[in-house]
Amino acid sequence: MNEIIPSPAEPVPAAPAGPAAPAGPSPDEYAPVVGISKEDTATLRMLEGKAADKTARDYEHIVWAYGVLWALFAAYGLFLWRRSARLRADMNELQRSLDRR
Amino acid sequence: MTTPTSSTGLRIARVLPDLCLLAAMPLLVYSVHRVFMSTPIEQSMGTAFKIFFFHVPMGWLCMLMALISGIAAAVQLRRRSSGAAAVALAAAEIGFVTGLGVLLTGPIWGNATWGKPWTGDARQVSTALLWLVIVAYLLLRHYGPRSSDRLAAALAIFGAVNVPLIYYAVTLWKTLHPSTTVVASLPKEMWMTFWPGLGGLLLVSLGLLGLRIRQLRLADELDAAWVQLEDPPR
Amino acid sequence: MRLLRQALLLLRSELRQELRDFELLLTAGFFTVVLLAMFYLSFASLQAKAHLHALPGLMWLTVAFVGVLTLTRVFDREREADTLRALLAAPIDRLAIYLAKAAMALSVLMVCCAVLVPGLWLIFPAAQAFADQPGQTALLALLGCGGYVAIGTLFAAGLATGAGKNTLLFIILYPLTTPVLMYALVTTRALIDRDPGLPGHLMQMFVLDVILFAAACLLFETVLIGAPVRPHRRPPLRPSVHRDMSREPSR
Repeated sequence: MNEIIPSPAEPVPAAPAGPAAPAGPSPDEYAPVVGISKEDTATLRMLEGKAADKTARDYEHIVWAYGVLWALFAAYGLFLWRRSARLRADMNELQRSLDRR
Repeated sequence: MTTPTSSTGLRIARVLPDLCLLAAMPLLVYSVHRVFMSTPIEQSMGTAFKIFFFHVPMGWLCMLMALISGIAAAVQLRRRSSGAAAVALAAAEIGFVTGLGVLLTGPIWGNATWGKPWTGDARQVSTALLWLVIVAYLLLRHYGPRSSDRLAAALAIFGAVNVPLIYYAVTLWKTLHPSTTVVASLPKEMWMTFWPGLGGLLLVSLGLLGLRIRQLRLADELDAAWVQLEDPPR
Repeated sequence: MRLLRQALLLLRSELRQELRDFELLLTAGFFTVVLLAMFYLSFASLQAKAHLHALPGLMWLTVAFVGVLTLTRVFDREREADTLRALLAAPIDRLAIYLAKAAMALSVLMVCCAVLVPGLWLIFPAAQAFADQPGQTALLALLGCGGYVAIGTLFAAGLATGAGKNTLLFIILYPLTTPVLMYALVTTRALIDRDPGLPGHLMQMFVLDVILFAAACLLFETVLIGAPVRPHRRPPLRPSVHRDMSREPSR
């Protein structure tokens, strides 16, 4: 209700200084986002690419690390299983010896 | 003659390893979910920091198993207990597995974060040395002469005593080889992801420990049975 | 006092045996010289700055290698003549055997250090600090060798009682003695750099040696002959031939 409405005679305050907005682009020309230059966008894309590479490389390392851990526990589980099989065979042999007596 | 209480106790002890492993499964699934879905990316180390949530618990478990092995070895020496000997050997084997896990995942993490697999960090070096002591114990138990059980127990006790000594010695040794890599201290929200991982791995380790102890005790009993069969007492 | 008297008696017997043919001193001393020659061939052509970094490692690796040789030979005599069993059966404190053997091994190692340190001084100019601070160097050698011998004597004795394989001593001893080695490395570097904190490092080594000696003394008798069997305890292995094996767990 109390907001100030500028009179028609008063000029509208200018937007903050920045690079001038280019004229409308032709269809086959690159059209940057308003306020960001071509160079800045190229830098941004390059950094995004680097970040994506690092994330991909990190994920590769993560997969290797988790894979190693599970493989170690699986190997130990296999070791326990084989020992159990050997003990079972030994027990059966003992039972047979007892039955023979 | 077993009393009802002791037979119940025996029954509980028998299923405890299986219960530990069963309980570990959902905890590990939850932990992995938290690590990849709910934990923010660490600022300085990026996505590779997610290895931390399993790497550090493995290190703690390695030291815990070395201590359990040392304590069990002391009981074995004091009471001539074959049960304690079984606990010492089983704990050393789990310590071997978890120690190897730390020593393999550490360089993977180091390579991803700093481009250097081995940074010479005090904890890395001291874990490697402790792991060597565990391997020496296992080699002595498997290849030593018949009377080497007591010697192996002494080795396990020295190994357990060495856990703090090695860490302090390496910290001192690091003054000769300073490194520039620094592991960031963990923010509070990441601890909430850390504990389920630790809990899950701890339950897996305890379950495997119980299974292995049971196997070793059974092997001892079978040996005694064979001896008695072949040479019965008069 | 009785313990010390018995230990001195055994040590005198060991020394008398050694002075007959000098076998241990000559073999260990010669091995030290051979290692010095190998270090000269491997490292003498490097820059002086590299010598400075390598010197502590060269010194203590030599002690580690010569130490295993010494400990093996100290107990080989007992093993060959099977006299360790006789010693254990004799009416003496078992700890006296440990103290005598440890003192013998320490004496041999100190003689080797008396060859090693001047040898390193001759080969590497960076070792001038050893000549400038002979008292501190001797104390460093004593403390480092003492910690090594404290652990090594226990395990060498343990392997000597059974039909123990000597190669196992290498496997056991090197991982266990790494704290001693690291303390010795840091203190040696402090000595070479003429660090004012050297007395503090030497004190830490002394404390470590006391801890290791105490642990070894506590374990010696139990490792060699086992803990005393209490009458009310049942024997460790329980024969169970008449149990129903089919009801055993499937694992």
